[in-house]
Amino acid sequence: MNIIPIRSSCSIRVTLNGRPVELAVRPEALLLDVLRDRLQLKGAKRSCDMQVCGACTVLLDGAPVSACTFLAVEADGREIVTVEGLGTEERLDPLQEAFIDHAAVQCGFCTAGMLLTAKALLAEDPAPTRERVVHYLRGNLCRCTGYRKIVEAILACAHAR
Amino acid sequence: MSAPGPLRVVGRSVRRTDALEKVTGRARYLSDLELPGMAHARLLRSPYPRARLLGVEVARARAHPGVHAVLTAADLTWCEPFYGPALRDRPLLATDVVRYEGDPVVAVAAVDEATAVEALDLVEVDYEELPAVMTLEEALAPGAPLVHAGEPLAGHFSDLSTLRARPGTNICHQFDYARGRGAGGFAEAALTLEDTYTFPRVQHYSMEPHGAIAAWDAEGGLTVWASTQNPFSVRAELAKMFGLPASRIRIAVPLLGGGFGGKTYAKLEPLAAALARVAGRPVRLQASVEDAFRTVRRCSARVRVRLGFRRDGGLVAVQCDADFDVGAYADIAPRVIQKGTYTATGPYRVPNVVLHSNAVYTNTTPGGAFRGFGVPQIAWAVESMMDVAAERLGRDPVDLRRQNLLAHGEEFARGDTPVDGKLEESLSRVAEAIRWHQASAAGRAKGVAVMMKASVAPSVSEAIVRLHADGSASVLVSTVEMGQGARTVMAQIAAEVLAIPLARVTVVPPDTSITPYDQTTSSSRSTTMVGRAVQDAAADVVGQLLKIAAAHLGVPAGALAVDDAAIVGGQRRLGYPELLDLHFGMRGGELIGRGVVAPGRTQAPLGGSTPFWEVAMGGAEISLDEETGAICVEAYASVADVGRCINPQQCEAQDEGAVMQGLGHTLLEEMVYEGGVLLNANLVGYRVPRAEDVPARFDSVFVENADGAGPFGAKGVGEGGLVPVSPAVGNALARLTGIRLRELPLTPERVWRALRARRDA
Amino acid sequence: MLRPFALYRPSTVGEAAEVLAREGPDAALYAGGTEVLLILKEGLLRVRSLVDVKRIPGLDEIRRDDGHLSIGATATHRALERAPAVHAHCPLVAGVARHVANIRVRTIGTVGGNLAFADPHSDLATLFLAFDGVVRLASRSGERDLPLAEFVRGPYETARRDDEILAAVRLAPWPAGTAGAYVKFGVHERPTLGVAVALMRGAGGDAVTDARLAVGCVGPRPQRLPEAEARVCGWSLADLARHAGEVAALAARDVDAVGDLHGSAEYKREMTRVFVRRILLVAGARAAGRDPHEHYPHTIIV
Ligand SMILES: Cc1cc2nc3c(=O)[nH]c(=O)nc-3n(C[C@H](O)[C@H](O)[C@H](O)COP(=O)(O)OP(=O)(O)OC[C@H]3O[C@@H](n4cnc5c(N)ncnc54)[C@H](O)[C@@H]3O)c2cc1C
Ligand code: FES
Ligand code: FES
Repeated sequence: MNIIPIRSSCSIRVTLNGRPVELAVRPEALLLDVLRDRLQLKGAKRSCDMQVCGACTVLLDGAPVSACTFLAVEADGREIVTVEGLGTEERLDPLQEAFIDHAAVQCGFCTAGMLLTAKALLAEDPAPTRERVVHYLRGNLCRCTGYRKIVEAILACAHAR
Repeated sequence: MSAPGPLRVVGRSVRRTDALEKVTGRARYLSDLELPGMAHARLLRSPYPRARLLGVEVARARAHPGVHAVLTAADLTWCEPFYGPALRDRPLLATDVVRYEGDPVVAVAAVDEATAVEALDLVEVDYEELPAVMTLEEALAPGAPLVHAGEPLAGHFSDLSTLRARPGTNICHQFDYARGRGAGGFAEAALTLEDTYTFPRVQHYSMEPHGAIAAWDAEGGLTVWASTQNPFSVRAELAKMFGLPASRIRIAVPLLGGGFGGKTYAKLEPLAAALARVAGRPVRLQASVEDAFRTVRRCSARVRVRLGFRRDGGLVAVQCDADFDVGAYADIAPRVIQKGTYTATGPYRVPNVVLHSNAVYTNTTPGGAFRGFGVPQIAWAVESMMDVAAERLGRDPVDLRRQNLLAHGEEFARGDTPVDGKLEESLSRVAEAIRWHQASAAGRAKGVAVMMKASVAPSVSEAIVRLHADGSASVLVSTVEMGQGARTVMAQIAAEVLAIPLARVTVVPPDTSITPYDQTTSSSRSTTMVGRAVQDAAADVVGQLLKIAAAHLGVPAGALAVDDAAIVGGQRRLGYPELLDLHFGMRGGELIGRGVVAPGRTQAPLGGSTPFWEVAMGGAEISLDEETGAICVEAYASVADVGRCINPQQCEAQDEGAVMQGLGHTLLEEMVYEGGVLLNANLVGYRVPRAEDVPARFDSVFVENADGAGPFGAKGVGEGGLVPVSPAVGNALARLTGIRLRELPLTPERVWRALRARRDA
Repeated sequence: MLRPFALYRPSTVGEAAEVLAREGPDAALYAGGTEVLLILKEGLLRVRSLVDVKRIPGLDEIRRDDGHLSIGATATHRALERAPAVHAHCPLVAGVARHVANIRVRTIGTVGGNLAFADPHSDLATLFLAFDGVVRLASRSGERDLPLAEFVRGPYETARRDDEILAAVRLAPWPAGTAGAYVKFGVHERPTLGVAVALMRGAGGDAVTDARLAVGCVGPRPQRLPEAEARVCGWSLADLARHAGEVAALAARDVDAVGDLHGSAEYKREMTRVFVRRILLVAGARAAGRDPHEHYPHTIIV
């Protein structure tokens, strides 16, 4: 038995925001850095770097993960959605609309993570209670808004369905 | 001068102009910027709170492939290596001693971060540990080790040239203020209370940590992209350090991911600039959150207060002695301590006052500006004691406050701006919102607190409004957009005055080589000061339009009016593009309006009269888990006197955020040092409020009497809401349990200990 | 930022064990990485290679096995929350899994990683003690089973040998009619205290025949509290309601509490008393067919 490790670059194929992408990454490359520095997708942010704040949230096969603490090689063969893939300026996702309407955006540093987390929640539970929304947002910090408008924006989307 | 009739854009909750870019991920912050050939920097920080540097060995790091620059203090012979807005007490890199755990010792710039980290691994530093002073008690003890021993102090702020250090101690500045008979006033008091309260070291945690990218051009000019709240202060600092004229330095500011005061004054910019110079290429110095905890924090404080009351409940005398722990370097703390202490009397009428505060160095992360600027520390003490007084006097706490409130137009201090709001109205509104006069359910109690804060003065804001040939407008101001919505508000003001749609207005991001001077984006001042400058600049443009129209129509300008992107007079209507065409004789050319707001120095105690008084009041209703000591804030009501909401939804958003941040230091947040080392410089150990911490009932109420000095009667908002939170919660706790806590945060264990101590007593 | 490493992706436990044997302390196991990548980033751990165990087929299986609930090491918290076998045999575990960390960590983090890391602030380690959890360790020389109580030795320290892999944890489902409950308390990111309780009762009888009480997060490792458990046995639910405080006092006496950022040892001991009593009452009420909806600040009751 002789298993060979990945030591240098290895090629990965990812469906990124709906489009296939192939690129070579090193084993220690973090998904957040690959998205931001290699693929120029700057929407996901680095803040706590410890999986607490959610600024780096992306969806991996629909589930939220912390790109700050996730190896890019793990994304091979999987589907990733970043905030850039959520909606376009012409066709915003209803959550994006709701965040704007409810003033749930201030500095915007948490916004991408909040939106994607909410997206995953609504996919799981299209009509969550307030408690469910708050519980789901446990790992998404916002230092500007005081959360109220964010929760309201998400609930508005849920109810609009 | 401006459009008559009802307001169209101002006073409406229009969408943020940056909302679209922020929800789509297009918004660019400092960490999103990249320059060709840019190197990445990392710092080696001291592991000790205080130590002598016996040797710093960097040869191996220098030789490491991919390294562009390695800097130690010894290399910085070519620039002025000290900086600091109040005192130039801070070296770019530690010289002979390190003064706190986290003090930068070596800086490296390399092709990428990984290489920079590898290079730092190769650095060897030889430290000789020295005894450190970690607390106010230790720092103020006779014979305490000195954080700074006899170093030259040079002012950078002219109004701080009056810095009063106490040589031979750790006190780097003292503030004194007295009026009336000072302490003599207590002779008239029927009730005198005296007590000491403390406020913890807390961290801003703006989600975006500090960052700077510096690049030198071939002509020796310097450009720095910085996540800063005041580009012009950074420019002044760099000009001095690098011996450049201000015009050769350009500070450009992208969107900020929050600031809260933590990004005022130079932080990483000087180091980034020095590294870029040596590396001969652009350098990015991006802090992590852990770095941010070692960059700046709120000044903690120990506040001793004496309140003297007449038998009828009138305040006759207030004495306040405050020691602020400003950490290892003064940053802007000398100003924090004087501003915070100055309004120790809150919004109350007090004939006899004596105030004293010290800025005290300790071997901890430097203390600086943080939302509230010294006021939360003092208000925690004074507003807690107002409730103690009410109890002793047998008075309702709201009532006692009402009796002592300053009246509209009344003098706060000789030479300063008279009170510009109806404080009673705010108090009534908060009492109403928190249902003060209804009994709380069993196991619950309410508390209120009030605050009044001066904004920075004297200060200067300038604006340029350019009306383009197509009738659209650019607004040039140096207000930093850090989440508060300033760009939207400036656009609203310009759109209102110019009578054009909001979508036709663009607010240009701050860039010291393009946008005009503005002192700072802080102190809740932008809407009032910059807003007025924008209003004036837009009005200047309108004045020019009227003149042009008058000349062409042959009627006096007074007979003309502004209406929907046109000047109208009688039956005639001339659209702006048409007017500009007429004026310039071609399509092209633009009208430029200028607005300058510069109230200048006055005889007010702090050297300038506050442009407005920020007034906020808060009411909290809490319940308590008596067995664990955990407090639950069930309801909160916040009232702010904003004069007029330019954008009501944004005002609400500011206020809600301020209250939640206030709940943080009230219930949860504290930077904990042990053995000289910061234990919780990260978000696992340092807990900030989460969505689940939002009170179930939460009201944000605005008093709008259009009595502010800002545009359309507005005043500042944004800091105030945070201040009353801790005393309101503390007062509620006292009313619920009879226990008065004097130390924040009110963690479960702290409350539990107090409950137990009472039970055991 | 992570320092370079080689990533092994073994496809069997045997292969993984072989790499471990070869690389020794220069290798670390890696599942979700929610802990190991953190300490690598922080520079607290430096290794030459990571050995990814989550690609080993079957290692994430959650199933009933020989009267036990077997949870494969690489099952995520999310899987635990949703797995039918968990709902069928140890429903409390699914409820607790829902409150571990945050949604992102639950998506990626694994049960094995949680236990093997032995962070003292672990919900699962505490909870699983109340299910007489046994960990299965695999190496080239075969498998061995070790009670969880012996596996977790102290903060970040386990009885796992360098060449061993945690393959599964096996829980003994509680007999029908058992009333169980779990409570976690704390303001910090990770729990300050966790208490798991189970009250077993004989068929038809009101009396408690057997009990489990585990307390965690307050000390270096989670503990069962045998004396407190013994005290409950034989009691009726009415006795329990009246005397829960006695059990709580025993628990507080016996718990090994240490001070840290979360609080002093004294406070944690006292909170042990408070929450053991509270959770006993909740379990007692559940045993009586009621579900009390108690709400306390910073407290989650499952
Ligand atoms: C922000 C945050 C909050 C958290 N909150 C909670 C909480 O509230 N309650 C709670 O209980 N936990 C909490 N945790 C811990 C969480 O449950 C663990 O991080 C997670 O389960 C670890 O799994 P992993 O697969 O990511 O482990 P990894 O990081 O991959 O590995 C962790 C450790 O286990 C070793 N390891 C992994 N798999 C195996 C194996 N099969 N055999 C042997 N060794 C192995 C690794 O070498 C490493 O030392 C929290 C974690 C974070 C980051
Ligand atoms: S940056 Fe990844 S969770 Fe905070
Ligand atoms: S909007 Fe600034 S952190 Fe959420």
